[in-house]
Amino acid sequence: MKVLKVKNFVLFCCLLLITTNAIAHHVLGRPSYSLGADSNTPPSMQIETQIGEYYVTYMAFPAFPKPGQQGRVNLYASRIDNGNAFNGKVTFKVRDNSFFSSKEEKLGVQDIDDGVYRQGFIFKQAGDYIVTAEFESGGQPYTIDFPLQIGDPFPIGPLGGSVLVIGVLLVAVNITQRKRLARMKATQHHTDNS
Amino acid sequence: MISTLLEQIHKLVYQTSEGMVHPGLTAEWVLFVLVSMVILSIGMMRAKPVTTQHVNLNVVSVFRLPFVGSKIQHMITRPAVLVSLRLIAASVFLLVIAAGLFGTQIPEKNIATTLTWTLWWSGVVISVFFVGSAWCAICPWDAIATWLVRRRLWKRGNEFASLNIKVPKIIRNIWPALMMFVVLTWLELGFGVTTSPYATALLALLVVVLATISLAVYERKAFCRYFCAVGRTLGAYGGIAPIALRPIDNAVCASCKTLECYNGTQDIEPCPTHLVMGSLKQNTYCTSCGSCTQSCPEQNINWQLRGIGNEVTYSSRPHWDESWFILGLLTLTLFHGFTMMPYWEDWMRQLAYIIGDSGRILTSFSIGMAVAMIVPIVIYSACITWLHNITGKKEPWRRVFSSMALSILPLAFAYHIAHNLSHLVRESQGFWSVVLNPFGSNTQPLSMQEVHMRHMYPLVDDNIVFALQATLILFGFWLALKVLRQRVQLLEGFKLKSSRLVYAPILLFILLINMVSLWLLMQPMIMRM
Repeated sequence: MKVLKVKNFVLFCCLLLITTNAIAHHVLGRPSYSLGADSNTPPSMQIETQIGEYYVTYMAFPAFPKPGQQGRVNLYASRIDNGNAFNGKVTFKVRDNSFFSSKEEKLGVQDIDDGVYRQGFIFKQAGDYIVTAEFESGGQPYTIDFPLQIGDPFPIGPLGGSVLVIGVLLVAVNITQRKRLARMKATQHHTDNS
Repeated sequence: MISTLLEQIHKLVYQTSEGMVHPGLTAEWVLFVLVSMVILSIGMMRAKPVTTQHVNLNVVSVFRLPFVGSKIQHMITRPAVLVSLRLIAASVFLLVIAAGLFGTQIPEKNIATTLTWTLWWSGVVISVFFVGSAWCAICPWDAIATWLVRRRLWKRGNEFASLNIKVPKIIRNIWPALMMFVVLTWLELGFGVTTSPYATALLALLVVVLATISLAVYERKAFCRYFCAVGRTLGAYGGIAPIALRPIDNAVCASCKTLECYNGTQDIEPCPTHLVMGSLKQNTYCTSCGSCTQSCPEQNINWQLRGIGNEVTYSSRPHWDESWFILGLLTLTLFHGFTMMPYWEDWMRQLAYIIGDSGRILTSFSIGMAVAMIVPIVIYSACITWLHNITGKKEPWRRVFSSMALSILPLAFAYHIAHNLSHLVRESQGFWSVVLNPFGSNTQPLSMQEVHMRHMYPLVDDNIVFALQATLILFGFWLALKVLRQRVQLLEGFKLKSSRLVYAPILLFILLINMVSLWLLMQPMIMRM
């Protein structure tokens, strides 16, 4: 009996291993081919943060817009205490996120639309940008920064970059030292013979 | 009368703020420290000169302590314990990098930011007080770099694994470490690395890459000796620490011809920072790696317990680059305090408005940082010039500058610990929840109420924290005076002037710095995370 149980267990495990995930072609009941900037499906990048009395959600679509491509950010701001949406004007600004850059531009001022503040954009140049959303509530100014990447992100991540640098360095040192060792041996051999 | 005085102190120095802040040192403690400072200053001015012959410089060998001495010796002279600790430290470090890169970006919920900035960065300086530069022995930057380059977990690596090039003479000092310290501070306070797990992980990776490059290119551990800001900070403060690696019997070292501590043995690495234990006078470059304890055939190297601050008072040798590093430590530590004051941001905004800076106002921050560093250095230089004149210019100005810098080291150390203590007891709350969920998966930011509760009810009672901070500031002042008294007496022109005026220039500087430290500790401090 025990052998049979073990066999069944092994068979079960094998079945588990060869089972693959079913790939859904529907997202929230909508066919994936109909996803677009104006759909109500989850965007490609979402950031949530808490500031003062508000809980703020920022969404960017698409995650990494290309230069010249139309994109949009959605901003939701709801009060922490009662969940009511902020109802006022939100100013969107953008600035270049490179060191010591002072380039800043106003994207627009938006009113609430169905609980959301929507701001469209088109960037000519690829790079790292910071989108700033500003609003005022209860006499207090609120300023929230969110990252926005235009164009493809750098193909090698920080981990890959570090491994690459260290790998190349160690190989280079190894080759150099092998050559040096060979030279030393050759010199030694030459000295011994003479 | 005392209550009126306390009220006046309150009105004069406390800054009000509407933001969320830590409470500062209370007026009662400030008054206590001020009165003690006056008494100590008068005591020093009235005291007769002393010579080192009258000073008790006795030390106690840890290996000779009853009951535990032999066990400590057994552990330290074998590599197993050290290698295990390095493995643990490196594992935690890799976890920090992984959490920073792939975990939540909520700083207080990610182990990368909480462990690095709240616990480690605050705690590592405090650790000097108890274990000297022992952190360097298990430093994961060096451990990972060593394993990668030498390709050995322990024992001496192949010497051909590195190019073993001599460090260029121009950077064979600790100016590079000072530069790195300035850059780290800029990244920490200006760029806001402390509140970004991702940036924290990137910084950690960058330092490992730099340590590996240095180890693969230069001889021994040039990164530890010349470039590492953390190591040199611990090394500088190590001069105050009551514990250090030293010979048990100096005569044994004096008669040693083989210098295993410097050259290493077949199995054990030589001293990574080129130190010869027999002539070691100061801790500045000792990384406590323990190679000397393992390689010495006479087992003559051990941990010694000694008087607090004795090294910086009597045996440290003044050096030009090291004195600048001490000044850098002092100014950057005070600058840390300034940036956490509620009005710092207003100043920066005003400056940004004047110069037309926008965005992250990094230009304004850089200017503010430069000013905060330059002002104390200019005042110190003026005091040195005054002292130089008083002592009849018998010694070069640079030597007076270097020598007197040792007397301000305790001030930097005391304020650094007092400031870090506040971060540690308030911001490390909730650390265990981060340990249990290091990547911060499915977590939300702390609510304002949670943040407030966390900062108003620290791990240790406020009164204890205030008492410790006041004691530390007083300790720093006392030690600074002790070093000053000794160092001024060593100046060649000292005998020329029997007047007490000879102490005045540096005493004034010490008083000024200590008052600033005290004032900073009194202010409500903006919460970091």
